[in-house]
Amino acid sequence: MKIKPFIAAAAIIFVLGIVGSIFALTSSPKNTVRISQDGKILYTIDLSVARDEEFGIKCSEGTNTIEIRDGKIRVRDADCPDKTCVKTGWLSSAAMPIVCLPHRLVIEFCEESGVDAVTR
Amino acid sequence: MKKAKRIAELGVLTALALIMFFVELQIPNPFPIPGIKLGLANIVTVYAVYRYKAWEAAAVAAVRITLGSVFAGNVSALLYSAAGSALCIFGMVILKRYIDEKHLWLASVFGAVLHNTGQILAACLLLQTPQIFAYYPFLIVSGCLAGGFTGLCAQLVINRLDKIKMHPNR
Repeated sequence: MKIKPFIAAAAIIFVLGIVGSIFALTSSPKNTVRISQDGKILYTIDLSVARDEEFGIKCSEGTNTIEIRDGKIRVRDADCPDKTCVKTGWLSSAAMPIVCLPHRLVIEFCEESGVDAVTR
Repeated sequence: MKKAKRIAELGVLTALALIMFFVELQIPNPFPIPGIKLGLANIVTVYAVYRYKAWEAAAVAAVRITLGSVFAGNVSALLYSAAGSALCIFGMVILKRYIDEKHLWLASVFGAVLHNTGQILAACLLLQTPQIFAYYPFLIVSGCLAGGFTGLCAQLVINRLDKIKMHPNR
């Protein structure tokens, strides 16, 4: 069995990964943000009209503190083991959600619903 | 006697993998992307896949993942790691037939990408959010690099062990 096809396959996968990463990083932000936990939508927030605030989202494993400021959203603090969601910083790409795997929390841009500005 | 020796070896491998896992935990992860890590413990996995039976490699990985996540206090990571490792070992056991030991690093690259695939599928199912797939390209890039590195390490280990003729199957 020749090894070359396998090397070529690995190289293609790697290049596709780089192209996909660039695409994901450059996808521009939208106005409406959706926060969901365990696949259930908790909040839908229009960032262009939302006032600056901070609130906690609790689950059985712990709490994530969400901060909205100047029309941007991030996880300011969390008591999860890896704190990846905090390190992700402000939500900036439509393709890349903020994810807290231990607390199964996802913050992502979504299409505008047009129904209500802030849903609680 | 031979069986006891083999079990002892698997125990040593598991212990080694656990130590590597904890050493890696001490290194702060600079990437704010869930699932990206070097995966030092997978040096042992790759080695075990190539030098032991499939079920033995799977057993070493299973015990390492279970104990590792319990000791590290991150039990939620268990499911993602388990899904990733299962797919990784399954794929590498098949690839082993086509990729010889001299190209171990290549098998390891595929293994790492499969690991990331398993992780992200588990995350999608658990969080019911297909958008998590946006992280997949990043995981692939990091998987190729990390998998290549751990594969090279495993290759070095195999070369050294063969030189001092310590290996069970040779």
